[in-house]
Amino acid sequence: MAKASFPKLAARPGVGERLIDALLSGRGIWPAVPAIVVLTVVAVIPFIVLLSLGFSDFVVSRGEIVSQTFSLDHLSNALSDSLYWTTFQRSLTLALSTTALCLIFGYPVAYLFLVGGRWTKRLILVLTIAPLLTSGIVRTYAWLVILGGRGVVNSTLAGMGLIDQPMRIMNTHWAVLIGMVQIHLPVMILPLIAVMSRHDGRLVEASENLGATRLGTLRTVILPLSVPGIGTGAALVFTLSYTTFVVPQILGGGNYLNAATMIYEQVVYSLEWSKGSVSSLILMLTCLVMLVAIALVTNHFTRWTRGSDA
Amino acid sequence: MIRHRLFPLSDLLGLGLIHAVAIFSLVLLVAPSIIVVIISFDTRAYVSFPPEGFTFRWYAEVFDKGELVEAMLNSLQVGLTVTLLCIVLGVPTALACVRGRFRGTTALSVFVLVPHMVPGIVLGVAVLFAGSLVGVVPSIWLQSIAITVFILAVMVRTVQSRLMRLDPALEEAAANLRATPFQSLRTVTLPLLMPAILAGAVFTFVEGFDNLSVAIFTHGFRDRPLPVELLALVQYTSSPLVAAVSGVQIVLAIAALVAVSMSIGLDNVNE
Repeated sequence: MAKASFPKLAARPGVGERLIDALLSGRGIWPAVPAIVVLTVVAVIPFIVLLSLGFSDFVVSRGEIVSQTFSLDHLSNALSDSLYWTTFQRSLTLALSTTALCLIFGYPVAYLFLVGGRWTKRLILVLTIAPLLTSGIVRTYAWLVILGGRGVVNSTLAGMGLIDQPMRIMNTHWAVLIGMVQIHLPVMILPLIAVMSRHDGRLVEASENLGATRLGTLRTVILPLSVPGIGTGAALVFTLSYTTFVVPQILGGGNYLNAATMIYEQVVYSLEWSKGSVSSLILMLTCLVMLVAIALVTNHFTRWTRGSDA
Repeated sequence: MIRHRLFPLSDLLGLGLIHAVAIFSLVLLVAPSIIVVIISFDTRAYVSFPPEGFTFRWYAEVFDKGELVEAMLNSLQVGLTVTLLCIVLGVPTALACVRGRFRGTTALSVFVLVPHMVPGIVLGVAVLFAGSLVGVVPSIWLQSIAITVFILAVMVRTVQSRLMRLDPALEEAAANLRATPFQSLRTVTLPLLMPAILAGAVFTFVEGFDNLSVAIFTHGFRDRPLPVELLALVQYTSSPLVAAVSGVQIVLAIAALVAVSMSIGLDNVNE
Protein backbone atom coordinates (compact mmCIF):
# COMPACT_ATOMS: atom_id res chain seq x y z
CA MET A 1 0.00 0.00 0.00
CA ALA A 2 1.28 3.42 -0.95
CA LYS A 3 -0.19 4.86 2.18
CA ALA A 4 1.92 2.69 4.46
CA SER A 5 5.19 3.64 2.80
CA PHE A 6 5.00 7.24 3.97
CA PRO A 7 5.47 7.93 7.66
CA LYS A 8 2.80 10.13 9.22
CA LEU A 9 4.55 13.13 10.69
CA ALA A 10 1.57 14.99 12.06
CA ALA A 11 0.55 14.77 15.65
CA ARG A 12 -2.68 12.84 16.07
CA PRO A 13 -5.71 15.11 15.72
CA GLY A 14 -8.05 15.75 18.60
CA VAL A 15 -10.95 13.54 19.58
CA GLY A 16 -13.61 15.72 17.91
CA GLU A 17 -11.76 15.83 14.63
CA ARG A 18 -11.10 12.11 14.76
CA LEU A 19 -14.80 11.52 15.33
CA ILE A 20 -15.75 13.63 12.28
CA ASP A 21 -13.10 11.85 10.24
CA ALA A 22 -14.30 8.45 11.36
CA LEU A 23 -17.84 9.35 10.45
CA LEU A 24 -17.01 10.95 7.13
CA SER A 25 -14.14 8.86 5.91
CA GLY A 26 -16.54 6.45 4.25
CA ARG A 27 -14.85 3.29 5.52
CA GLY A 28 -17.63 2.41 7.93
CA ILE A 29 -21.36 2.08 7.52
CA TRP A 30 -21.96 5.45 9.27
CA PRO A 31 -22.48 7.63 6.17
CA ALA A 32 -25.32 5.37 5.09
CA VAL A 33 -27.12 5.39 8.43
CA PRO A 34 -29.43 8.38 7.72
CA ALA A 35 -30.55 6.79 4.45
CA ILE A 36 -31.08 3.43 6.13
CA VAL A 37 -33.21 5.05 8.83
CA VAL A 38 -35.31 6.98 6.30
CA LEU A 39 -35.78 3.94 4.05
CA THR A 40 -36.79 1.84 7.05
CA VAL A 41 -39.32 4.36 8.32
CA VAL A 42 -40.79 5.39 4.96
CA ALA A 43 -40.52 2.13 3.00
CA VAL A 44 -39.94 -0.98 5.11
CA ILE A 45 -42.41 -0.21 7.91
CA PRO A 46 -45.16 0.91 5.48
CA PHE A 47 -44.74 -2.37 3.60
CA ILE A 48 -45.13 -4.32 6.81
CA VAL A 49 -48.25 -2.26 7.57
CA LEU A 50 -49.58 -2.98 4.08
CA LEU A 51 -48.94 -6.68 4.59
CA SER A 52 -50.66 -6.67 7.97
CA LEU A 53 -53.68 -4.80 6.61
CA GLY A 54 -54.04 -7.26 3.76
CA PHE A 55 -54.05 -10.23 6.11
CA SER A 56 -56.28 -9.05 8.91
CA ASP A 57 -59.72 -7.88 9.86
CA PHE A 58 -59.49 -4.48 11.42
CA VAL A 59 -61.68 -1.67 12.59
CA VAL A 60 -60.48 1.86 12.03
CA SER A 61 -61.83 4.72 14.01
CA ARG A 62 -60.44 8.25 13.72
CA GLY A 63 -57.39 7.08 11.84
CA GLU A 64 -56.42 4.51 14.43
CA ILE A 65 -56.79 0.77 14.32
CA VAL A 66 -58.90 -0.17 17.34
CA SER A 67 -58.94 -3.90 16.74
CA GLN A 68 -57.03 -6.18 14.42
CA THR A 69 -57.23 -9.95 14.00
CA PHE A 70 -55.48 -12.21 11.53
CA SER A 71 -57.65 -13.30 8.65
CA LEU A 72 -57.31 -14.54 5.12
CA ASP A 73 -60.80 -13.35 4.20
CA HIS A 74 -59.72 -10.39 2.05
CA LEU A 75 -57.31 -12.51 0.08
CA SER A 76 -59.82 -15.29 -0.52
CA ASN A 77 -62.52 -12.74 -1.39
CA ALA A 78 -60.19 -11.19 -3.93
CA LEU A 79 -59.22 -14.54 -5.40
CA SER A 80 -62.85 -15.59 -5.80
CA ASP A 81 -63.83 -12.25 -7.34
CA SER A 82 -63.94 -12.47 -11.13
CA LEU A 83 -63.28 -8.71 -11.36
CA TYR A 84 -59.81 -9.29 -9.93
CA TRP A 85 -59.06 -12.06 -12.38
CA THR A 86 -60.15 -10.10 -15.45
CA THR A 87 -58.40 -6.93 -14.27
CA PHE A 88 -55.10 -8.60 -13.51
CA GLN A 89 -55.34 -10.63 -16.68
CA ARG A 90 -55.90 -7.43 -18.66
CA SER A 91 -52.92 -5.74 -16.96
CA LEU A 92 -50.74 -8.74 -17.65
CA THR A 93 -51.73 -8.99 -21.32
CA LEU A 94 -51.24 -5.26 -21.75
CA ALA A 95 -47.83 -5.29 -20.06
CA LEU A 96 -46.59 -8.32 -21.99
CA SER A 97 -47.71 -6.97 -25.36
CA THR A 98 -46.19 -3.59 -24.50
CA THR A 99 -42.90 -5.28 -23.62
CA ALA A 100 -42.88 -7.32 -26.84
CA LEU A 101 -43.72 -4.32 -29.04
CA CYS A 102 -41.14 -2.14 -27.29
CA LEU A 103 -38.55 -4.79 -28.07
CA ILE A 104 -39.63 -4.99 -31.72
CA PHE A 105 -39.51 -1.22 -32.16
CA GLY A 106 -36.59 -0.58 -29.83
CA TYR A 107 -34.10 -3.18 -31.01
CA PRO A 108 -33.63 -1.67 -34.50
CA VAL A 109 -32.86 1.68 -32.85
CA ALA A 110 -30.18 0.05 -30.72
CA TYR A 111 -28.80 -1.66 -33.85
CA LEU A 112 -28.70 1.69 -35.62
CA PHE A 113 -26.82 3.06 -32.61
CA LEU A 114 -24.28 0.24 -32.88
CA VAL A 115 -23.57 0.65 -36.58
CA GLY A 116 -24.20 4.41 -36.83
CA GLY A 117 -21.65 7.20 -36.88
CA ARG A 118 -20.94 9.74 -34.18
CA TRP A 119 -23.85 12.05 -35.03
CA THR A 120 -26.32 9.20 -35.41
CA LYS A 121 -25.35 7.98 -31.96
CA ARG A 122 -25.72 11.45 -30.48
CA LEU A 123 -29.12 11.98 -32.12
CA ILE A 124 -30.38 8.62 -30.86
CA LEU A 125 -29.25 9.45 -27.31
CA VAL A 126 -30.97 12.84 -27.36
CA LEU A 127 -34.21 11.41 -28.76
CA THR A 128 -34.20 8.58 -26.20
CA ILE A 129 -33.27 10.52 -23.09
CA ALA A 130 -35.41 13.62 -23.75
CA PRO A 131 -38.74 11.78 -23.31
CA LEU A 132 -37.53 10.39 -19.98
CA LEU A 133 -37.17 13.94 -18.74
CA THR A 134 -40.66 14.90 -19.93
CA SER A 135 -43.74 14.34 -17.81
CA GLY A 136 -45.62 11.11 -18.50
CA ILE A 137 -48.89 13.00 -18.52
CA VAL A 138 -47.64 15.38 -21.20
CA ARG A 139 -46.56 12.47 -23.38
CA THR A 140 -49.87 10.69 -22.86
CA TYR A 141 -51.80 13.87 -23.58
CA ALA A 142 -50.01 14.03 -26.92
CA TRP A 143 -51.73 10.79 -27.88
CA LEU A 144 -55.06 12.30 -26.96
CA VAL A 145 -54.27 14.96 -29.56
CA ILE A 146 -53.15 12.42 -32.15
CA LEU A 147 -55.83 9.78 -31.71
CA GLY A 148 -58.79 11.96 -30.73
CA GLY A 149 -61.94 12.46 -32.82
CA ARG A 150 -60.49 15.60 -34.44
CA GLY A 151 -56.91 14.52 -33.96
CA VAL A 152 -54.00 14.02 -36.31
CA VAL A 153 -54.91 10.51 -37.46
CA ASN A 154 -58.58 11.23 -38.11
CA SER A 155 -58.08 14.54 -39.89
CA THR A 156 -55.34 13.05 -42.08
CA LEU A 157 -57.51 10.08 -43.07
CA ALA A 158 -60.51 12.34 -43.65
CA GLY A 159 -58.36 14.71 -45.69
CA MET A 160 -57.33 11.82 -47.93
CA GLY A 161 -60.97 10.88 -48.31
CA LEU A 162 -60.48 7.47 -46.70
CA ILE A 163 -63.11 7.92 -44.00
CA ASP A 164 -66.30 9.98 -43.66
CA GLN A 165 -66.82 9.57 -39.94
CA PRO A 166 -63.95 10.01 -37.48
CA MET A 167 -62.76 6.62 -36.28
CA ARG A 168 -63.16 5.92 -32.61
CA ILE A 169 -59.66 5.10 -31.46
CA MET A 170 -59.64 6.87 -28.12
CA ASN A 171 -60.96 4.99 -25.10
CA THR A 172 -60.16 1.65 -26.70
CA HIS A 173 -57.66 -1.04 -25.88
CA TRP A 174 -55.65 0.01 -28.95
CA ALA A 175 -55.25 3.61 -27.81
CA VAL A 176 -53.93 2.38 -24.46
CA LEU A 177 -51.53 -0.05 -26.14
CA ILE A 178 -50.17 2.56 -28.58
CA GLY A 179 -49.62 5.05 -25.77
CA MET A 180 -47.97 2.43 -23.56
CA VAL A 181 -45.51 1.35 -26.26
CA GLN A 182 -44.47 4.87 -27.17
CA ILE A 183 -44.08 5.96 -23.55
CA HIS A 184 -41.99 2.97 -22.49
CA LEU A 185 -39.88 2.74 -25.65
CA PRO A 186 -36.93 4.77 -24.25
CA VAL A 187 -36.78 2.49 -21.22
CA MET A 188 -36.24 -0.45 -23.56
CA ILE A 189 -33.73 1.30 -25.85
CA LEU A 190 -31.35 2.59 -23.17
CA PRO A 191 -30.34 -0.80 -21.65
CA LEU A 192 -29.97 -2.23 -25.16
CA ILE A 193 -27.64 0.60 -26.12
CA ALA A 194 -25.71 0.20 -22.86
CA VAL A 195 -25.04 -3.48 -23.50
CA MET A 196 -24.29 -3.03 -27.19
CA SER A 197 -21.78 -0.25 -26.69
CA ARG A 198 -19.79 -2.64 -24.49
CA HIS A 199 -19.43 -5.09 -27.38
CA ASP A 200 -16.01 -5.67 -28.79
CA GLY A 201 -16.28 -4.19 -32.28
CA ARG A 202 -13.75 -6.72 -33.57
CA LEU A 203 -16.33 -9.49 -33.15
CA VAL A 204 -18.51 -7.91 -35.81
CA GLU A 205 -15.49 -7.39 -38.09
CA ALA A 206 -14.38 -10.98 -37.59
CA SER A 207 -17.84 -12.26 -38.42
CA GLU A 208 -17.98 -10.27 -41.63
CA ASN A 209 -14.44 -11.21 -42.60
CA LEU A 210 -15.45 -14.84 -42.22
CA GLY A 211 -18.07 -14.24 -44.87
CA ALA A 212 -21.20 -13.66 -42.82
CA THR A 213 -23.75 -11.27 -44.26
CA ARG A 214 -24.67 -8.29 -42.12
CA LEU A 215 -27.98 -9.92 -41.25
CA GLY A 216 -26.11 -13.09 -40.38
CA THR A 217 -23.80 -11.12 -38.11
CA LEU A 218 -26.80 -9.53 -36.45
CA ARG A 219 -28.43 -12.89 -35.89
CA THR A 220 -25.41 -14.91 -34.78
CA VAL A 221 -23.17 -12.34 -33.08
CA ILE A 222 -24.93 -9.14 -32.09
CA LEU A 223 -28.27 -10.58 -30.99
CA PRO A 224 -26.88 -13.30 -28.69
CA LEU A 225 -24.49 -10.81 -27.09
CA SER A 226 -27.27 -8.32 -26.43
CA VAL A 227 -29.50 -10.77 -24.53
CA PRO A 228 -28.62 -9.22 -21.12
CA GLY A 229 -29.76 -5.84 -22.44
CA ILE A 230 -33.00 -7.36 -23.70
CA GLY A 231 -33.52 -8.89 -20.25
CA THR A 232 -32.93 -5.60 -18.41
CA GLY A 233 -35.09 -3.64 -20.83
CA ALA A 234 -37.90 -6.19 -20.71
CA ALA A 235 -37.84 -6.24 -16.90
CA LEU A 236 -38.02 -2.43 -16.70
CA VAL A 237 -40.71 -2.04 -19.35
CA PHE A 238 -42.75 -4.86 -17.84
CA THR A 239 -42.65 -3.41 -14.32
CA LEU A 240 -43.57 0.07 -15.50
CA SER A 241 -46.33 -0.92 -17.90
CA TYR A 242 -47.78 -3.53 -15.53
CA THR A 243 -48.16 -0.96 -12.77
CA THR A 244 -48.86 2.17 -14.78
CA PHE A 245 -51.70 4.44 -13.96
CA VAL A 246 -51.49 7.46 -16.26
CA VAL A 247 -51.92 5.87 -19.70
CA PRO A 248 -54.99 3.71 -18.96
CA GLN A 249 -56.60 6.54 -17.04
CA ILE A 250 -56.19 9.12 -19.83
CA LEU A 251 -56.31 7.07 -23.04
CA GLY A 252 -58.77 4.53 -21.65
CA GLY A 253 -61.16 7.31 -20.80
CA GLY A 254 -61.61 6.37 -17.15
CA ASN A 255 -63.35 3.07 -17.87
CA TYR A 256 -60.29 1.03 -18.71
CA LEU A 257 -59.63 -0.84 -15.51
CA ASN A 258 -56.13 -2.20 -15.04
CA ALA A 259 -54.54 -3.19 -11.75
CA ALA A 260 -53.26 0.30 -10.97
CA THR A 261 -56.49 2.13 -11.75
CA MET A 262 -58.39 -0.47 -9.72
CA ILE A 263 -56.13 0.12 -6.70
CA TYR A 264 -56.58 3.86 -7.13
CA GLU A 265 -60.36 3.52 -7.08
CA GLN A 266 -60.33 1.21 -4.09
CA VAL A 267 -58.05 3.46 -2.07
CA VAL A 268 -59.09 6.98 -3.08
CA TYR A 269 -62.76 6.70 -4.03
CA SER A 270 -64.28 3.83 -2.12
CA LEU A 271 -61.80 4.01 0.80
CA GLU A 272 -61.59 0.21 1.01
CA TRP A 273 -58.27 -0.17 2.75
CA SER A 274 -58.24 -3.92 3.02
CA LYS A 275 -59.16 -4.35 -0.64
CA GLY A 276 -56.54 -1.79 -1.62
CA SER A 277 -53.90 -3.59 0.47
CA VAL A 278 -54.71 -6.97 -1.01
CA SER A 279 -54.69 -5.61 -4.57
CA SER A 280 -51.34 -3.89 -3.95
CA LEU A 281 -49.87 -7.09 -2.54
CA ILE A 282 -51.15 -9.15 -5.48
CA LEU A 283 -49.75 -6.56 -7.88
CA MET A 284 -46.35 -6.62 -6.20
CA LEU A 285 -46.24 -10.41 -5.98
CA THR A 286 -47.29 -11.07 -9.58
CA CYS A 287 -44.84 -8.44 -10.75
CA LEU A 288 -42.07 -10.16 -8.80
CA VAL A 289 -42.97 -13.56 -10.26
CA MET A 290 -42.85 -12.15 -13.79
CA LEU A 291 -39.50 -10.46 -13.10
CA VAL A 292 -38.05 -13.75 -11.87
CA ALA A 293 -39.41 -15.45 -15.00
CA ILE A 294 -37.80 -12.81 -17.22
CA ALA A 295 -34.50 -13.20 -15.34
CA LEU A 296 -34.60 -17.00 -15.74
CA VAL A 297 -35.26 -16.78 -19.47
CA THR A 298 -32.50 -14.20 -19.87
CA ASN A 299 -30.08 -16.39 -17.93
CA HIS A 300 -30.97 -19.39 -20.04
CA PHE A 301 -30.07 -17.55 -23.21
CA THR A 302 -26.91 -15.88 -21.88
CA ARG A 303 -25.36 -19.04 -20.48
CA TRP A 304 -23.49 -19.98 -23.62
CA THR A 305 -22.12 -16.50 -24.32
CA ARG A 306 -20.86 -15.96 -20.81
CA GLY A 307 -17.53 -17.63 -21.47
CA SER A 308 -16.68 -15.09 -24.14
CA ASP A 309 -17.65 -12.19 -21.91
CA ALA A 310 -15.00 -12.97 -19.34
CA MET B 1 -10.61 -4.28 -41.78
CA ILE B 2 -13.94 -5.26 -43.29
CA ARG B 3 -13.70 -6.68 -46.77
CA HIS B 4 -15.78 -4.77 -49.26
CA ARG B 5 -18.00 -7.03 -51.21
CA LEU B 6 -21.55 -7.30 -52.46
CA PHE B 7 -24.08 -8.46 -49.93
CA PRO B 8 -26.99 -10.59 -51.17
CA LEU B 9 -30.30 -8.90 -51.85
CA SER B 10 -32.03 -10.48 -48.86
CA ASP B 11 -29.39 -8.88 -46.66
CA LEU B 12 -30.05 -5.44 -48.10
CA LEU B 13 -33.82 -5.90 -47.77
CA GLY B 14 -33.54 -7.08 -44.18
CA LEU B 15 -31.25 -4.24 -43.22
CA GLY B 16 -33.49 -1.79 -45.04
CA LEU B 17 -36.42 -3.00 -42.98
CA ILE B 18 -34.45 -2.71 -39.75
CA HIS B 19 -33.36 0.82 -40.59
CA ALA B 20 -36.90 1.77 -41.57
CA VAL B 21 -38.27 0.51 -38.25
CA ALA B 22 -35.50 2.31 -36.38
CA ILE B 23 -36.25 5.62 -38.09
CA PHE B 24 -39.98 5.10 -37.51
CA SER B 25 -39.32 4.51 -33.80
CA LEU B 26 -37.14 7.60 -33.52
CA VAL B 27 -39.85 9.71 -35.15
CA LEU B 28 -42.39 8.09 -32.85
CA LEU B 29 -40.31 9.15 -29.85
CA VAL B 30 -40.28 12.83 -30.69
CA ALA B 31 -43.33 13.50 -32.91
CA PRO B 32 -45.99 13.54 -30.15
CA SER B 33 -44.14 16.26 -28.24
CA ILE B 34 -43.78 18.37 -31.38
CA ILE B 35 -47.50 18.01 -32.12
CA VAL B 36 -48.35 19.12 -28.58
CA VAL B 37 -46.20 22.23 -28.96
CA ILE B 38 -47.89 23.05 -32.29
CA ILE B 39 -51.36 22.58 -30.77
CA SER B 40 -50.50 24.86 -27.86
CA PHE B 41 -50.43 27.87 -30.24
CA ASP B 42 -53.80 27.08 -31.88
CA THR B 43 -56.46 29.79 -31.74
CA ARG B 44 -59.42 27.40 -31.46
CA ALA B 45 -60.77 26.47 -28.06
CA TYR B 46 -60.76 22.75 -28.72
CA VAL B 47 -58.00 20.33 -29.58
CA SER B 48 -57.81 19.70 -33.30
CA PHE B 49 -55.15 19.20 -35.91
CA PRO B 50 -53.86 20.93 -38.01
CA PRO B 51 -54.08 24.28 -36.16
CA GLU B 52 -55.84 27.26 -37.69
CA GLY B 53 -54.02 30.24 -36.25
CA PHE B 54 -51.28 31.38 -33.95
CA THR B 55 -51.75 32.79 -30.46
CA PHE B 56 -50.04 32.95 -27.10
CA ARG B 57 -53.46 32.99 -25.44
CA TRP B 58 -53.16 29.56 -23.82
CA TYR B 59 -49.78 30.33 -22.34
CA ALA B 60 -51.16 33.55 -20.90
CA GLU B 61 -54.09 31.60 -19.50
CA VAL B 62 -51.79 29.08 -17.80
CA PHE B 63 -50.17 31.84 -15.82
CA ASP B 64 -53.52 33.52 -15.15
CA LYS B 65 -55.00 30.39 -13.66
CA GLY B 66 -54.18 30.54 -9.97
CA GLU B 67 -54.45 26.81 -9.29
CA LEU B 68 -52.07 25.91 -12.13
CA VAL B 69 -49.42 28.36 -10.99
CA GLU B 70 -49.85 27.13 -7.46
CA ALA B 71 -49.56 23.52 -8.62
CA MET B 72 -46.36 24.39 -10.47
CA LEU B 73 -44.92 26.05 -7.38
CA ASN B 74 -45.92 23.03 -5.27
CA SER B 75 -44.22 20.67 -7.69
CA LEU B 76 -41.18 22.93 -7.79
CA GLN B 77 -41.00 22.73 -4.00
CA VAL B 78 -41.38 18.95 -4.06
CA GLY B 79 -38.73 18.64 -6.78
CA LEU B 80 -36.24 20.76 -4.86
CA THR B 81 -36.93 18.99 -1.55
CA VAL B 82 -36.55 15.58 -3.17
CA THR B 83 -33.30 16.62 -4.84
CA LEU B 84 -31.87 18.05 -1.63
CA LEU B 85 -32.85 14.97 0.41
CA CYS B 86 -31.45 12.64 -2.25
CA ILE B 87 -28.11 14.46 -2.24
CA VAL B 88 -27.89 14.55 1.57
CA LEU B 89 -28.94 10.89 1.97
CA GLY B 90 -27.66 9.42 -1.28
CA VAL B 91 -24.10 10.70 -1.68
CA PRO B 92 -22.90 9.43 1.74
CA THR B 93 -24.68 6.13 1.07
CA ALA B 94 -22.87 5.76 -2.24
CA LEU B 95 -19.57 6.46 -0.44
CA ALA B 96 -20.37 3.79 2.13
CA CYS B 97 -21.34 1.30 -0.58
CA VAL B 98 -18.15 1.74 -2.58
CA ARG B 99 -15.50 2.76 -0.05
CA GLY B 100 -16.97 0.93 2.91
CA ARG B 101 -14.85 -1.76 4.51
CA PHE B 102 -17.66 -3.44 6.43
CA ARG B 103 -19.50 -6.65 5.75
CA GLY B 104 -22.72 -6.15 3.83
CA THR B 105 -21.81 -3.42 1.33
CA THR B 106 -23.63 -5.42 -1.34
CA ALA B 107 -26.63 -5.91 0.93
CA LEU B 108 -26.68 -2.14 1.48
CA SER B 109 -26.70 -1.48 -2.29
CA VAL B 110 -29.58 -3.90 -2.73
CA PHE B 111 -31.48 -2.46 0.22
CA VAL B 112 -31.32 1.02 -1.30
CA LEU B 113 -32.55 -0.36 -4.61
CA VAL B 114 -35.60 -2.21 -3.26
CA PRO B 115 -38.03 0.74 -2.84
CA HIS B 116 -37.20 1.74 -6.43
CA MET B 117 -38.05 -1.69 -7.77
CA VAL B 118 -41.40 -1.78 -6.00
CA PRO B 119 -44.20 -0.29 -8.13
CA GLY B 120 -44.61 3.40 -7.25
CA ILE B 121 -48.32 2.94 -6.76
CA VAL B 122 -47.73 0.23 -4.12
CA LEU B 123 -45.23 2.43 -2.29
CA GLY B 124 -47.73 5.30 -2.40
CA VAL B 125 -50.52 3.18 -0.93
CA ALA B 126 -48.21 1.76 1.75
CA VAL B 127 -46.99 5.20 2.83
CA LEU B 128 -50.55 6.57 2.86
CA PHE B 129 -51.83 3.73 5.06
CA ALA B 130 -48.86 3.66 7.42
CA GLY B 131 -48.90 7.45 7.71
CA SER B 132 -52.55 7.68 8.58
CA LEU B 133 -52.16 4.99 11.25
CA VAL B 134 -49.70 7.14 13.13
CA GLY B 135 -51.62 10.33 12.41
CA VAL B 136 -49.48 11.66 9.54
CA VAL B 137 -51.94 12.99 6.98
CA PRO B 138 -51.00 13.37 3.32
CA SER B 139 -49.17 16.63 2.72
CA ILE B 140 -46.54 18.15 0.51
CA TRP B 141 -43.93 16.88 3.00
CA LEU B 142 -45.22 13.32 3.06
CA GLN B 143 -45.24 13.41 -0.74
CA SER B 144 -41.66 14.72 -0.86
CA ILE B 145 -40.28 12.13 1.53
CA ALA B 146 -42.15 9.29 -0.20
CA ILE B 147 -40.82 10.27 -3.63
CA THR B 148 -37.34 10.64 -2.10
CA VAL B 149 -37.46 7.06 -0.88
CA PHE B 150 -38.71 5.95 -4.29
CA ILE B 151 -36.00 7.71 -6.31
CA LEU B 152 -33.02 7.64 -3.90
CA ALA B 153 -31.64 4.61 -5.71
CA VAL B 154 -31.06 6.66 -8.86
CA MET B 155 -28.84 9.15 -7.03
CA VAL B 156 -26.96 6.37 -5.24
CA ARG B 157 -26.40 4.41 -8.47
CA THR B 158 -25.23 7.48 -10.43
CA VAL B 159 -22.73 8.54 -7.76
CA GLN B 160 -21.72 4.93 -7.10
CA SER B 161 -20.79 4.21 -10.70
CA ARG B 162 -18.72 7.40 -10.92
CA LEU B 163 -17.07 6.60 -7.61
CA MET B 164 -16.10 3.13 -8.78
CA ARG B 165 -14.31 4.58 -11.79
CA LEU B 166 -12.33 7.13 -9.76
CA ASP B 167 -8.65 6.40 -9.37
CA PRO B 168 -8.11 5.44 -5.72
CA ALA B 169 -4.55 6.76 -6.08
CA LEU B 170 -5.97 10.31 -5.96
CA GLU B 171 -7.36 9.76 -2.48
CA GLU B 172 -4.22 7.93 -1.41
CA ALA B 173 -2.17 10.88 -2.61
CA ALA B 174 -4.34 13.21 -0.55
CA ALA B 175 -3.82 10.98 2.47
CA ASN B 176 -0.08 10.89 1.85
CA LEU B 177 -0.07 14.67 1.74
CA ARG B 178 -1.43 14.44 5.27
CA ALA B 179 -5.00 15.40 4.45
CA THR B 180 -7.47 14.09 6.99
CA PRO B 181 -10.23 11.89 5.55
CA PHE B 182 -12.59 14.83 5.79
CA GLN B 183 -10.19 17.13 3.96
CA SER B 184 -9.57 14.63 1.19
CA LEU B 185 -13.31 14.08 0.84
CA ARG B 186 -13.95 17.80 0.58
CA THR B 187 -11.07 18.75 -1.68
CA VAL B 188 -10.57 15.61 -3.80
CA THR B 189 -13.48 13.18 -3.83
CA LEU B 190 -16.48 15.52 -3.80
CA PRO B 191 -15.25 17.80 -6.61
CA LEU B 192 -14.60 14.72 -8.74
CA LEU B 193 -18.09 13.42 -7.94
CA MET B 194 -19.75 16.72 -8.79
CA PRO B 195 -20.83 15.81 -12.36
CA ALA B 196 -22.48 12.62 -11.12
CA ILE B 197 -24.21 14.45 -8.27
CA LEU B 198 -25.45 17.07 -10.74
CA ALA B 199 -26.80 14.45 -13.13
CA GLY B 200 -28.44 12.60 -10.23
CA ALA B 201 -29.92 15.92 -9.10
CA VAL B 202 -31.48 16.49 -12.52
CA PHE B 203 -33.11 13.05 -12.55
CA THR B 204 -34.33 13.23 -8.97
CA PHE B 205 -35.69 16.74 -9.54
CA VAL B 206 -37.59 15.62 -12.63
CA GLU B 207 -39.03 12.70 -10.65
CA GLY B 208 -40.05 14.95 -7.78
CA PHE B 209 -41.63 17.40 -10.19
CA ASP B 210 -43.38 14.86 -12.42
CA ASN B 211 -44.07 11.82 -10.27
CA LEU B 212 -47.71 10.80 -10.22
CA SER B 213 -47.80 7.19 -9.02
CA VAL B 214 -46.49 7.96 -5.53
CA ALA B 215 -47.81 11.52 -5.39
CA ILE B 216 -51.41 10.68 -6.16
CA PHE B 217 -51.73 8.88 -2.79
CA THR B 218 -49.53 11.09 -0.66
CA HIS B 219 -50.08 14.66 -1.85
CA GLY B 220 -51.77 17.16 0.41
CA PHE B 221 -55.44 17.82 -0.11
CA ARG B 222 -54.86 21.55 -0.44
CA ASP B 223 -51.44 21.64 -2.06
CA ARG B 224 -51.94 19.58 -5.18
CA PRO B 225 -48.83 19.01 -7.30
CA LEU B 226 -48.79 19.70 -11.03
CA PRO B 227 -49.19 16.08 -12.26
CA VAL B 228 -52.33 15.61 -10.16
CA GLU B 229 -53.75 18.95 -11.30
CA LEU B 230 -52.80 18.16 -14.89
CA LEU B 231 -54.41 14.72 -14.81
CA ALA B 232 -57.70 16.26 -13.72
CA LEU B 233 -57.36 18.93 -16.38
CA VAL B 234 -56.64 16.39 -19.13
CA GLN B 235 -59.67 14.35 -18.15
CA TYR B 236 -62.19 17.15 -17.82
CA THR B 237 -61.22 19.84 -20.33
CA SER B 238 -60.55 19.77 -24.03
CA SER B 239 -58.95 23.19 -24.60
CA PRO B 240 -55.30 23.56 -25.67
CA LEU B 241 -54.61 24.80 -22.13
CA VAL B 242 -53.07 21.45 -21.25
CA ALA B 243 -50.95 21.69 -24.39
CA ALA B 244 -49.61 25.01 -23.14
CA VAL B 245 -48.74 23.53 -19.74
CA SER B 246 -47.08 20.70 -21.66
CA GLY B 247 -45.19 23.27 -23.74
CA VAL B 248 -43.81 24.78 -20.53
CA GLN B 249 -42.82 21.33 -19.26
CA ILE B 250 -41.13 20.44 -22.55
CA VAL B 251 -39.00 23.57 -22.28
CA LEU B 252 -38.05 22.47 -18.74
CA ALA B 253 -37.20 19.01 -20.07
CA ILE B 254 -34.92 20.48 -22.72
CA ALA B 255 -33.17 22.48 -19.99
CA ALA B 256 -32.78 19.25 -18.00
CA LEU B 257 -31.38 17.48 -21.06
CA VAL B 258 -28.80 20.20 -21.59
CA ALA B 259 -27.90 20.02 -17.89
CA VAL B 260 -27.35 16.27 -18.10
CA SER B 261 -25.29 16.45 -21.26
CA MET B 262 -23.12 19.14 -19.72
CA SER B 263 -22.63 17.33 -16.40
CA ILE B 264 -21.92 13.68 -17.14
CA GLY B 265 -22.55 13.56 -20.87
CA LEU B 266 -25.42 11.68 -22.45
CA ASP B 267 -23.30 8.58 -23.02
CA ASN B 268 -23.05 7.99 -19.29
CA VAL B 269 -26.74 8.19 -18.42
CA ASN B 270 -26.92 4.43 -18.60
CA GLU B 271 -24.07 3.67 -16.26
